[in-house]
Amino acid sequence: MRKATFWMNPMSRNKQAKRPKLSGDGYAGGAKYFFARALTNIRQNFFINIVTIGTITLALLIIALFLLVFVNLEGVAEDWSKRVQVTAYFDQEPASQEVAALKAKISALPGTEKVDYISKDEALKRFRVRLKGQDSLLEGVSADVLPASLEISLKRGSRGGEAVEMYVASLKRIPGIGEVQYGEEWVKRFTTFMNFMRLVGALLGGFLLLAVVFIVSNTIKLTIYSRKDELEILGLVGATRFFIKAPYVIEGMLQGAAGGLFALLTLFAFYLGFLHNAGNFLSFNPAANGLSFLPLPHVLGIFLGGVGLGFLGSITSLKRFVTS
Amino acid sequence: MIQLHNVTMSYQREVSALDGISLRIPKGDFVFLTGPSGAGKSTLLKLLYGALTPSRGQILIDGQNLMRLKPSQLPYLRRTIGVVFQDFKLLPNRTVLENVAITLEVLGWGKKDIGKKVYHILKQMGLEHKVSATPLRLSGGEQQRVALARALVNDPKILLADEPTGNLDDENKAHILSIFKEANIRGTTVVVATHDQRLIENSHKRVIVLEKGHILDESNVPQ
Ligand SMILES: Nc1ncnc2c1ncn2[C@@H]1O[C@H](COP(=O)(O)OP(=O)(O)O)[C@@H](O)[C@H]1O
Ligand SMILES: [Mg+2]
Repeated sequence: MRKATFWMNPMSRNKQAKRPKLSGDGYAGGAKYFFARALTNIRQNFFINIVTIGTITLALLIIALFLLVFVNLEGVAEDWSKRVQVTAYFDQEPASQEVAALKAKISALPGTEKVDYISKDEALKRFRVRLKGQDSLLEGVSADVLPASLEISLKRGSRGGEAVEMYVASLKRIPGIGEVQYGEEWVKRFTTFMNFMRLVGALLGGFLLLAVVFIVSNTIKLTIYSRKDELEILGLVGATRFFIKAPYVIEGMLQGAAGGLFALLTLFAFYLGFLHNAGNFLSFNPAANGLSFLPLPHVLGIFLGGVGLGFLGSITSLKRFVTS
Repeated sequence: MIQLHNVTMSYQREVSALDGISLRIPKGDFVFLTGPSGAGKSTLLKLLYGALTPSRGQILIDGQNLMRLKPSQLPYLRRTIGVVFQDFKLLPNRTVLENVAITLEVLGWGKKDIGKKVYHILKQMGLEHKVSATPLRLSGGEQQRVALARALVNDPKILLADEPTGNLDDENKAHILSIFKEANIRGTTVVVATHDQRLIENSHKRVIVLEKGHILDESNVPQ
């Protein structure tokens, strides 16, 4: 079962190596030894490793699910805030030079992202698209009924309540601009709602993170506690603290990496399984198809978060058991 | 050389496990530490390998003052001291080979050299057929010899043993004693704590008698 033949060489029985070679050159050799030790530890303590990795997986999965919902909410918010649109209406359809001049002036305003001119004809076309299948409603509606307008999208920073008001004030100062509409109440409510959501998200996320750090470090503490005899014996035969700790820290990081990986895989399976088309209730845009998956930086963050948890968990637990 | 100057060790206030002990064990000596249970034998050994720090007094090993030793230097001291613990402290989930190998792994030895050296010492202990067994499958005497092998595999300057013949039969006791003597002949200073009077009588070595933390008597038996 165990390979133990390498020392059976009869030639070497009586001859002792006078100056034994160290197990490798410098750090590379040491790292190899510590890594091998960590893998052996995992194999010899398989069950407790499974428990630890399972705990980390669950903890990170909860965080990841939370992030997924949060990222998608932000996406929806972004989507909605794009509709914070300022519209300037014209009584008479303006001449095209006039339109071009106004567009230039508006574009020059700080806060403007995009300006589109909607002629009477185009307004009618849109109206028709919206009322498709209800043609009877369209009878008697001509282009004259609908006003021409300039639709202005705002840059991110100018979409908030007060910023919009300031923008509209400077817009109104441009000669040729008459009636301006931007749904003040709606903008204010939306901004308040989003700020509230971000606060709740940050609080929830913070508590979640604290709980996860607590649970994971305690689980790792258990795995290390179960091997406190080994830590003690290593110290008694003259191992340096670094030598004692290194394999356990590596083990913790491997557990964290495995936990992170499993959490992400599980999340992705959930996502493929049902989440990706289960999110329509969040989005008011029927064109958007459900939730989107976490962006790459978040994915990397969860993985590295797992590794970091394993690292910190084992370092802090070892401090307790590796004294003198 | 081991020197103790006025060493006092109190676990709790008021009561001292050792009280003003002074003694000197020259290099290459073989000493028995004896006395009734609770006399302070184990405490004295623990002080010598740095598991405890004395409440008062000085301990010197080869001129090195343990009180002045930085914690980061302690491992290097322990590498020169082999210890046989009363409860063996063998790892139950590792083989005999792996248990003994720990002493050398800590020094950064390569796998091959470790294998040779460990096999050699296990052969001396009469355990070469047990290398792949785990400690719980061994008899008490065999476990004791594995613990001895781990302590001796790096040819330590000092060997400390706490009640090494605790539950052993006469044959096993004789075997263990002969191993101590061989190590001593090769230059290792040997300190054995025991309350086993027959072991002491058969060995003709220096005896230090402790009682209630004091040195009661010291006898130098000529070799
Ligand atoms: N960890 C400890 N905490 C408190 N008291 C202890 C501890 N270890 C030993 N003692 C006390 O110190 C005294 C000496 O114990 P010990 O050195 O184990 O004696 P021996 O080995 O000679 O039987 C005893 O009175 C014992 O109760
Ligand atoms: Mg004792």
